[in-house]
Amino acid sequence: MPDNDKLKIAVYTCYCGGNISDVVDCEKVAKAMGSQPDVVVSRTDMSLCSDAGQSQIEQDIRELGVNRVVIGSCAPTLHEVTFRNALIRAGLNPYLYQHVGLREQDSWVHSNDHAGATRKAMHLMKAGIAKARLLHPLEPIRLQAEKQALVIGGGVAGLRAALDIAQQGLRVVLVEKSPFVGGRMAQLEAVFPTHENARDLLRGLIKKVVNHPGIKIYTQAEVMGVAGYVGNYCAQVIQHSRGVTEENAEALLSACQQEVPDEFNYGLTRRKTIYRPYPGCYPPLPAVDWDNYQGEPISLNGGEPIVLEDVPTSVDVNVGAIVVATGFDPYEPRQGEYGYGELKEVVTLPQLIRHLALSKANHALEWNGHPVRDVAFIHCVGSREIEGVDEPHEDGRINNYCSRVCCTATLHTTEELRQHFPGLNIYDLYQDIRTYGRGHEDYYRDALLGGVRFVRYHGEEHPQVTAASAGDTHPVLIRVKDSLTYNEELEIPVDLVVLAVGMQPRQIDKLVNMLKVSRGTDRFLLEVHPKLRPVETAVNGVVLAGTAQGPMNIQESLSAASAAAAKVVALLGRGRVELQPFVAAVDAEKCNGTGACVEICEYEGAIAVQTFTENGKEVKRAVVTPANCSGCGACVAVCPNHAINVQGWTLSQYEAMVDAIASDIPNMAEVA
Amino acid sequence: MPDIAQSPQPKILVLATLAGGYAGADSTGQSHLDYPANTYVLPVMCPVMFPPEFFVRAFERGIDGIIIMYSGTDSPYKVEADGTAKLINRTYQLMKERGIDIRRLRLAAICTVCVKPFLKEVNQMAELLKGIGFVKNELASRNASAQGAPA
Repeated sequence: MPDNDKLKIAVYTCYCGGNISDVVDCEKVAKAMGSQPDVVVSRTDMSLCSDAGQSQIEQDIRELGVNRVVIGSCAPTLHEVTFRNALIRAGLNPYLYQHVGLREQDSWVHSNDHAGATRKAMHLMKAGIAKARLLHPLEPIRLQAEKQALVIGGGVAGLRAALDIAQQGLRVVLVEKSPFVGGRMAQLEAVFPTHENARDLLRGLIKKVVNHPGIKIYTQAEVMGVAGYVGNYCAQVIQHSRGVTEENAEALLSACQQEVPDEFNYGLTRRKTIYRPYPGCYPPLPAVDWDNYQGEPISLNGGEPIVLEDVPTSVDVNVGAIVVATGFDPYEPRQGEYGYGELKEVVTLPQLIRHLALSKANHALEWNGHPVRDVAFIHCVGSREIEGVDEPHEDGRINNYCSRVCCTATLHTTEELRQHFPGLNIYDLYQDIRTYGRGHEDYYRDALLGGVRFVRYHGEEHPQVTAASAGDTHPVLIRVKDSLTYNEELEIPVDLVVLAVGMQPRQIDKLVNMLKVSRGTDRFLLEVHPKLRPVETAVNGVVLAGTAQGPMNIQESLSAASAAAAKVVALLGRGRVELQPFVAAVDAEKCNGTGACVEICEYEGAIAVQTFTENGKEVKRAVVTPANCSGCGACVAVCPNHAINVQGWTLSQYEAMVDAIASDIPNMAEVA
Repeated sequence: MPDIAQSPQPKILVLATLAGGYAGADSTGQSHLDYPANTYVLPVMCPVMFPPEFFVRAFERGIDGIIIMYSGTDSPYKVEADGTAKLINRTYQLMKERGIDIRRLRLAAICTVCVKPFLKEVNQMAELLKGIGFVKNELASRNASAQGAPA
C-alpha cells in the first residue's frame, strides 16, 4: 500500500440503541481501537444510522481528513449502503469503507458471555481496520446498455414480464419455442381463487402484448446462442417456418391427414400435424408441427400434392437483459406408478382437467364411456419423494420438493366435480394439505363440509392401486393405511384414480449452459438470494420469471414476472448499467500470461490472455472483461504469480484480517 | 492434555459465503441463539478464491479451526460446489504435509436460514478443539519432531 503513511482511519462502534452495548462493552472496544495504528478517531454512538450518527461520520471525514472508515454495527445487509452513502456525501470514495457485524454475529449470539463478546468485537474491529488499510478507491463498472430485453418463454410469466417491461418504454423481443403463446395456463379452465376462465384471462394479456408496439414476438423460435454481457448481450434466435400462409392455411388444415397425440389435451385426443391447439389461440394462423410432420405430400383441392418445408431463419438481437421464463412440465408418472399407464382408469390431474373441458356437455362424469361413481385423488405424485423409499428418476434424482400448487388445484377440482356431479363420491388421499395462499384454505374447508372423504397416508407407505378382481363393482381397488384412523387399512373401490402430479423443471440444458445460470438440487433455476436478490441470477442481467425457478401458481408467477420486469427496467432504464466493482483485476506487473485463470474460469468472455507489445517485445497478459466476471475468484487461487485478485476482496486483505483475529489485543487484560 | 480449558480459547474462523453461510450466521443471530464467542465469521463471495496455502498460513498464524460455510450445489456460482470440494482435498494434502490435523478444516453447506446446521457445525468444531488443542502446540510438536527433539 503506497499511501500507508497517509492513512487516516475513523472507527465507530455503534450501541445500536442497546442491542450491541447491552452485551458488548462498546467503550472498551472504542478505546482499544483508538490505539490501533493509523486510527485517528474512534467513537461510539447510540445509533450511527441516525441522521446525527451519519453527520458525525461526514464531519470527521471533512474535518479530520479521514480516508478510511470502519463501522461496527448491525449486519451489513441492513446499513452497509447507508454508510457508503454517508462517505459519498462527505466526498470520499464509498469503497473505502469496511463494515463489521457486531449485532447478529456478536451481541445477539453471546448474550451470556459479555467478556467474550467484547473480546470478539475487538478482534472483529481490528480485522476490519486491517482490511481498511488495504482498501483502494473503486469505481462501479459503468456500461452502456441496450434498452431492449429478451424474454425467453411466451407463457403467462413471459407475457407479463414482456408487457411490464414494454410499458416502461423499453423494447422487448419475446421468443416462444412452440408455435403459440400462452403456455401451460392455456390448458386450464376455471382457475383458483377467482374462478375466472384461464384462457379469457390470457386472451386479455396476449391482446395487450400483441398490440404493444414495443414488443416483437417470435414463435416457433429458439435462442441458439448468447454472447456478450449485461447491457450488451447478442442473442441468436432461430425461427422455424410457420409452414402455412393466410391464403392456404385453412385448406391445408383441412387436407392434412396425419395425426399425432394432442399434447394440449395431454394425449387424451389426437390432432393433425398442421394444427391450432384451441380456438382463439395466438397467433391464430395454424402451424406445422415440424417434429412430427414427416414430409407427407398434401393435396389441395385435387391439385398437385405439395410437400411443406421448414426453412428456418436466423436473426441476431441485441439486448441489455434476459428474462428466463421457460416454465415447467407436469410430472409424468412412471409406467405402473399408482397403476399409471397400466390401468386405463388412472389419470393425472391435468388430464382430468382437459377431460372435463372436453366433456362439458355431459351431465354425468364418464371415463372411457363408463359412468364414474367413485373417484379418488392421490396427492404428492412426483413431489415430496423420499430418498430410499421412492425410486429415483432417470437422472438418478428424486423430487423431494413440494410442488405447492397441487393441493389447492386438487381441492379446486373436487369443488368443480361436486358442483357439476353432485352424486359423485370423492376420496382425497393426502400426506399434508398445503393450501397456503389467500383464500385457498376455503377449498379445504368446503371440501370437508361438502362430503369429500379425506384419507391421510404416510409418504413412506404409499397407497396401492390395483385392478379390481373380476366381478367387483368397481374396476380399481385402492389399499391405503389411514393415519387419521390409527392406520386402519382401508380398501376403496373406485372408478377413477386421479394423480395430483407435481411440477418439474423443463429440459433446458442447452439454455442453462448458454446463459451460465445455476440450478438448485431440485433442478429449477436458482436466484442469487431469495430475500436479498430475488429473481436475479448470479449472471448479471439475467433474471428469472415464473416457474422456471420453482413451483408457483399463476398469481405467484405473475408476481415473479413483474419483479423480473422491474429488475430489467431498473437495470436498463437509464441506458447504462452500473455494477459493483467486485470483479477480478490483473496486476500487470506480476502477470506473465500463464492462462491458468482462463482455464479455470466458468464465465464466457470474462477473462482472456492477450498479447501486447511493450518496449519492442511481445508480452502476454490476462485481461478481464469486468461485465462478464462474476467475482467468484476461482482465478485467484490458481494464479502461480498471485497476479490476480477480486477487487475489494483480495487475498492480502483476508490475510490481514486473519492475522488480526489470530493476534492479541493490546489491552485485552482490561476486558477479560 | 492441551491447555484448552485455560483462557484464551482456541479460535475458530468461519469463511462464510454471502449467499449462504454468512446469511445463515445472521439468521442465527436474529434467533438469539448462543454459540462460543471464540468464533469469527468473515464473509466471502465464493471460497474457491483461496489457495490451500491460505489455510495453512492461517493455522500457522494461530487460527485453530476453520469452517468453510458455502452454498454447496445451491450456489449462484457454477464453480463453487465442485471447486470448493477440490480445494478442500488439495488443502488436506498440504495440511498433512505440514503436520496439521485435517479435522481442523471443515466444509459445510449452510443456507441462508440454516440456523441449526450453523450451530451444529460451530459447536462440533469447538468440541473438537477442546480435544485436540491449540494449533500452535501441534505445530510446535511437529517442529520439535522435525528437529529430532522429543515432542
